[in-house]
Amino acid sequence: MSRLIFAVMMLITTPSAWGSEAVVQPLLQQYRSEGASNFSAAHGRQIWTTTHVDRRSGKEISCASCHTSDLTRQGRHIRTGKLIEAMAPSRNPERLSDPDKIEKWFRRNCRSVLGRVCTSQEKGDLLMFIQSQ
Amino acid sequence: MQKGTILVWDPLVRLFHWLLAGCFVFNYLAGARWLELHVLAGSIVAGLLLFRFIWGVLGTPHARFSDFLYSPYQIASHLAGLVKRRVERWVGHNPAGGAMIFALLTGLLLLTASGVALYGAQQDAGPLAVLYAMLDERQLGLLEQVHSWLADAVAALVGLHLFGVAVESAFQKENLVASMIHGRKPLYGKET
Amino acid sequence: MKKNRIWMGSALFAICLGTAVSGIAMGEDEGEWGDRKWSRQGYLREQGVAPVSDKRYASECGACHFAYPPGLLPARSWRRIMSDLDEHFGEDASLSRRTKKVLTRYLVHNAGDVRRDEVSRKLLRRLSAREAPLRITHLPYFRRKHGEIPSRMIAGNPRVRSLSNCQACHTQAARGVFEEETVRIPGYGRWHD
Repeated sequence: MSRLIFAVMMLITTPSAWGSEAVVQPLLQQYRSEGASNFSAAHGRQIWTTTHVDRRSGKEISCASCHTSDLTRQGRHIRTGKLIEAMAPSRNPERLSDPDKIEKWFRRNCRSVLGRVCTSQEKGDLLMFIQSQ
Repeated sequence: MQKGTILVWDPLVRLFHWLLAGCFVFNYLAGARWLELHVLAGSIVAGLLLFRFIWGVLGTPHARFSDFLYSPYQIASHLAGLVKRRVERWVGHNPAGGAMIFALLTGLLLLTASGVALYGAQQDAGPLAVLYAMLDERQLGLLEQVHSWLADAVAALVGLHLFGVAVESAFQKENLVASMIHGRKPLYGKET
Repeated sequence: MKKNRIWMGSALFAICLGTAVSGIAMGEDEGEWGDRKWSRQGYLREQGVAPVSDKRYASECGACHFAYPPGLLPARSWRRIMSDLDEHFGEDASLSRRTKKVLTRYLVHNAGDVRRDEVSRKLLRRLSAREAPLRITHLPYFRRKHGEIPSRMIAGNPRVRSLSNCQACHTQAARGVFEEETVRIPGYGRWHD
């Protein structure tokens, strides 16, 4: 019950969360059905900033390499130099508003950074993290 | 002693001269900035040259090449005479003037040809558009340089030409520029 | 001066000029000297390449890099690129089959050898019909135009990073204009030869 009230309050008080909430919740439900649980933004931040060795360049990369660790800031593609709009929905209301887009970028970027597919747990944690920014 | 005037330059050779001068000056100053006009003026020059070469064979007496084709000895002799301030009067072009004309016509011919080639190679246009696919970047760059260099060379000749006209006008005490406008030169007792 | 000769000469004058001007400056657009689709007037005045007109292409293919106008590569190059999006210059750029089909059609229909805008013709100069280059930055004309730029202005410049980052310096790139006058290199300003 309290969670419902909290969610309603979030919906009302955070305009940017309105759109993303309607998209994120169903995704989280889907991840739960795949065995994930107890999503945490803190854990999401950890995934975001953990570095991995890029199989091509040998350099250390993380999500933050392109998106920066401050999601309210513009990022820059590490290879092409192209500016990337802020990931935080508070800064950029379009973020987390399209589930297909979310899944597409998970599919691509997890492969690029982690070298593998992200687990449902990781995806849920990451969504919580991004949404909280 | 002046005894009237004689019509030396026919209207066509005069029109040719000034139209040519105008087009060259415009193209030299404009460069590639207004390309359409540059190409238009350049093609006018090509047409003028074509005319002049035919007219140089079939035209009025003083327009014909045979009238001002002199040997190197005669050219040198004329120039030496200028230095010694010897007054000579020529009805048509004097030897130095004749040499300048051949030099200018040759230079302009090469310049125009390189221009047509460049038009094709760079813009894929004109009668030599086939060059567009045939030349690589390096060759195209060379062609651009050749055209540019030839333009400078002709411009230098033009400068020398203007100097020569001024000098000869002063020495012959005739206004050669005016002659090229109305076509007439004064007649004297003895003509060379 | 015989009048007859002058009249004949005048006709000769007109013929010579007419022939030269029509033969050089006013060549036909199609048929004789090429099969360009644009009128020569608009063609010479055109300063760039047709900008990206497909919104989906702009969003799908403009997220990680500049959305390159299709006119910058020949159709066969675009086909090659779109056929291997899993390994797209070292990144995974995979798309749904439907999206891929739609985007490929847009690219191929507007490719440089199809539209032949001024920049396209220069970029694709002297490519053999077999060559299907993957990188615009490797085209000979591109190399000629960018060869003298010191690396500190590109690779060593954090606001540029790569020659493939067109719009970092070409301020009008999104409009398809790449003229040198419009170039401003971040941290350095205008480019001087």
